[in-house]
Amino acid sequence: MPIIPDTPENLNSPENPDTPDTPSWILNLEDIEKDFVFHHQQGTIMTVFNGFSHAFYPGKATILSGPSGSGKSTLLRMIYGTYKTESGHIRVRHQGREVDVAGASPALIYALRRDTIGYVSQFLRVVPRVSALDTVIEPLLARGVPQNEAAGAGRTLLERLHIPSTMWHLSATTFSGGEQQRINLARGFIAPYPILLLDEPTASLDLKNRETVIQLITEALKNNTCIIGVFHDPADHRSFADQVIDLSTHRCQETLPS
Amino acid sequence: MTSAPDLSPPPLLKVAHLCKFFGRHMGCHDISFEVCPGEVIGVVGESGSGKSTLLNCIAGRLRPSNGSVCFKTPDGMEDLCRCDEARMRRIIRTRTGYVTQHAAQGLKMHISAGGNIGEKLMAAGTRHYGKIRDAALMWLDKVEIDPGRIDDLPSTFSGGMQQRLQIAANLVTAPEILLMDEPTSGLDVSVQARLIDVLRKLVFSLNLSMILVTHDLAVARLLCHRLYVMKQGEVVESGLSDQILDDPRKPYTQLLVSSVLKP
Repeated sequence: MPIIPDTPENLNSPENPDTPDTPSWILNLEDIEKDFVFHHQQGTIMTVFNGFSHAFYPGKATILSGPSGSGKSTLLRMIYGTYKTESGHIRVRHQGREVDVAGASPALIYALRRDTIGYVSQFLRVVPRVSALDTVIEPLLARGVPQNEAAGAGRTLLERLHIPSTMWHLSATTFSGGEQQRINLARGFIAPYPILLLDEPTASLDLKNRETVIQLITEALKNNTCIIGVFHDPADHRSFADQVIDLSTHRCQETLPS
Repeated sequence: MTSAPDLSPPPLLKVAHLCKFFGRHMGCHDISFEVCPGEVIGVVGESGSGKSTLLNCIAGRLRPSNGSVCFKTPDGMEDLCRCDEARMRRIIRTRTGYVTQHAAQGLKMHISAGGNIGEKLMAAGTRHYGKIRDAALMWLDKVEIDPGRIDDLPSTFSGGMQQRLQIAANLVTAPEILLMDEPTSGLDVSVQARLIDVLRKLVFSLNLSMILVTHDLAVARLLCHRLYVMKQGEVVESGLSDQILDDPRKPYTQLLVSSVLKP
């Protein structure tokens, strides 16, 4: 797979124009804008995106790079619908139709998150008293997969991520950072999604588990998942990345009210 | 809450332009929202923001000054504000459950745990004693209370158990919407975690809808799909729980979110 260097030349130039000959995009960002207004800090306005556009294709992996604060996680959260989009469109092909995450109704966001967009956050949000296995299989149950079938898939995945079976029925509250991250990854990879967002999924993992994650990513790409990820260590993504977007070139200024 | 409800069926409850005045004081003003099957709605805000007033209007405990509260019934959408007292009571009894902050207000402390559950069933028309007792045993088990305690008085239960008993007593008649006013406050955290876990399981297994009034944003994040932020009787911001808590827009919501202590 070609490795594209992190240069601004690669930006905003989708190699697959939306023509009948090439696969059409699964996710298309059009002129998106994002500001954060801090009402209790003298009304400071922070503009993170000011007219960013990019198309993403099935089976391709895109790495977001740039220094911290350049909007990598913000972009993932906007695509997932957690951060509201000021203006522009986040178009997604969802179950055969084109929808827009920007301004989507809660009903549509629920459906998108269940069937189309997966997201592995930087940290697992642990729910007390819910076992690691139940945490992992929740996305499958939400799609109506029977409990025993989902549990089987969950056990296989936890084994691959080297979580000892003695821990499967414990709540992840007391797990180490690396263990929690693996539970989070298992939860993200258990159900196939057309789009998978990864926010530093390998940050607190050892080499062995990192390799497993790279394998999981490669398998997902073969299944035509579009992967968009932020990776702490650039060495991690050399093996599978199709393109790198350097967000520092899109960085906008902080505006203080006059 | 992550497992998402399916919102294709019509809403169970539609609140439109709801207002409640207490004399010249405004309890809540121009509130509109819908609740779909399996959806958990959180109403957050500080004390006195009108959260409980809103809940009491939906529960038929307060008569709204204006607006409508429509429940889905076998006869179509029926507006509490436009039907007679008897009809209103019937809709409330069959469609909703109401869990109060203080279990003593929601339970009869001088009758047994089983009696508290069975009473609701009898009110709904069940007469067979064996069936009532079986239902009580099953519900005690569902809310993680030892069924062996069926004949004990609720006053011998811990605060968390009383809250779970209250939930069982409300759900035994299979209402579609459970209304809850600060059900977790006053409980210590381990007890609170258990209550939340029980509620999560019930929502998933029964496709139950809930409206949860709380001032605890962590509880709201764990349980609710959507949040309504209230201040001085009005909804200042609403959206998916993660949108409200991770990207709050309005000054008041930002203040509320940034004021939470994170352990």
